[in-house]
Amino acid sequence: MKNLVDGRLPRRLLLLFELMSMSLILLYRRDSLDIKIVALAIGLLVVVYGANYILSRLSDGDLYIFLIVSMLMSIGIIMIFRISSDLGLKQLLWLVIGIGAFFGSYFMITKLSFWESLFPVYIAAAYSFFAMTLILGDRKHGAINWISIGGISFQPAEMTKIILVFILACFFSGRDKFSRYKYADYWMMGVIYSFIGLLFIQRDLGTAMIFMGIFTGLQYIYSNDRKVIRANIGLFTIGGIAAYILFDHVKVRIMTWLNPWPYIDNKGYQITQSLFAIAEGSYFGTGLGRGNPSFIPLSYNDFIFSSITEEMGVFTGIGIIMLFMILVYRGFKIALRQDSKFYRMLALGITLMFGLQSFVIIGGVTKVIPLTGLTLPFVSYGGTSVLSSFIALGILQGASEKLTREEIR
Amino acid sequence: MFDLLSIVFKYIFVIIIYMFIFVIIRMIYLDIRAMEGNPEDSGAYLKLLNRLDSLPYRVRDSYSLNGTLSLGRSSENDVVIKDAFVSKRHLIITKDEEEYFIEDLGSSNGTYVNKQLLVDAAKLINGDIIKIGDLEFIFVNRI
Repeated sequence: MKNLVDGRLPRRLLLLFELMSMSLILLYRRDSLDIKIVALAIGLLVVVYGANYILSRLSDGDLYIFLIVSMLMSIGIIMIFRISSDLGLKQLLWLVIGIGAFFGSYFMITKLSFWESLFPVYIAAAYSFFAMTLILGDRKHGAINWISIGGISFQPAEMTKIILVFILACFFSGRDKFSRYKYADYWMMGVIYSFIGLLFIQRDLGTAMIFMGIFTGLQYIYSNDRKVIRANIGLFTIGGIAAYILFDHVKVRIMTWLNPWPYIDNKGYQITQSLFAIAEGSYFGTGLGRGNPSFIPLSYNDFIFSSITEEMGVFTGIGIIMLFMILVYRGFKIALRQDSKFYRMLALGITLMFGLQSFVIIGGVTKVIPLTGLTLPFVSYGGTSVLSSFIALGILQGASEKLTREEIR
Repeated sequence: MFDLLSIVFKYIFVIIIYMFIFVIIRMIYLDIRAMEGNPEDSGAYLKLLNRLDSLPYRVRDSYSLNGTLSLGRSSENDVVIKDAFVSKRHLIITKDEEEYFIEDLGSSNGTYVNKQLLVDAAKLINGDIIKIGDLEFIFVNRI
């Protein structure tokens, strides 16, 4: 009875999983093996185990979320390594940097307390990120969402997502401050819609959907004025229909969602390859290194879920969905337990972000909803995506602690 | 050779991933059980000081005190704690005219009130810390 659930058991299972999968991958890549890859693989094991251990000593908040995320990123890194050892190497480095960023944002959120008062700064930062993207942006895979400065390229929209959560948390927790102004709710809605419009110009439909989802979710929970919510839903519906009629790239998404088979050799290629891969995998998958995930375009990025399902089976795919579900559940629990209104909304916004993003992309690649390009948080390849997800997780970890301490006595 | 290993490992991976999920869900389940009821707004109560996640058995975050409350390992107690350091019938807290008294029922590892071993019975005042094994409760009685 006593040792049925030892607190250390998940950490050990994680270590076992990483050890086994890493050695299998190194065996698969035995021809192109060099000391750097082995060193980094061992380095990652140490960093993940160490980070979980340090966190259990350091934080009196929630200890599950980082464990869940460790499992997710372990599954992701194995798959990326299997597809390309170059990308795997880069991803390993990004994960280590990401874990550093996690601790960084965790300390900044728990030790500093001016976050609530920076509302104008957040707005300015969000607009300047958009301006940067539009001026300096490169078009990749149909969307302008990359900028490169001095050889380092990144996606500003990933960071704007976190800034959006801060903007909304500031606005909804400081209602009294803002209600001096007439129509404050509508002004806020205007700002968010201008973000979504800018994303539309960049053709970054996936991120636009996430922005809309986070805003609608927080507004639904915290707005006192039902009229504003109705206005938002009405505008959203009209905007969606208008976008379908006006923009070709939206129409293509819907068309390939309803029936991709007539366009299998061009527009519907991605989604049909993804479906083939998932079907090929069956319950337990073909086994690592024995499938053909490289047939899917972007198999290491947006379509990582299909690649994993092909080689590790539908059961692993369902496992990933379950991991995201318990992550989101923990996020809601953290939000419920937090006393400070600002941090509660921050936690809720970030949870919504993780939940929506994983739903939109997993739903997209399995043809449940129209496909929009997004990364699967913590699993997909991508420096900015890993970094921003870990920063968001650090904020969630910080919000899981009691930040407004009140004495019992 | 690699193919064989890959096929064997894919089953093991699925098993490990599901065990991991199972363990975490089980820990979360214990956590939810602990949340039930929130007596903090009514009268006197015991509040757990340990972090719930660190305990491998079911304990609630707080227990309200209305009349008598017995604590021990066997299931006939009001508060059942399946810890090896807790005796079958460990202690009892009684209420007498708005005052609370704690009494050790001859437990093998003893009960500590404010770091002192409890002999027989003692009166509880607001803020007393009750220690049983590794568990620590704070007694709160705001009138």
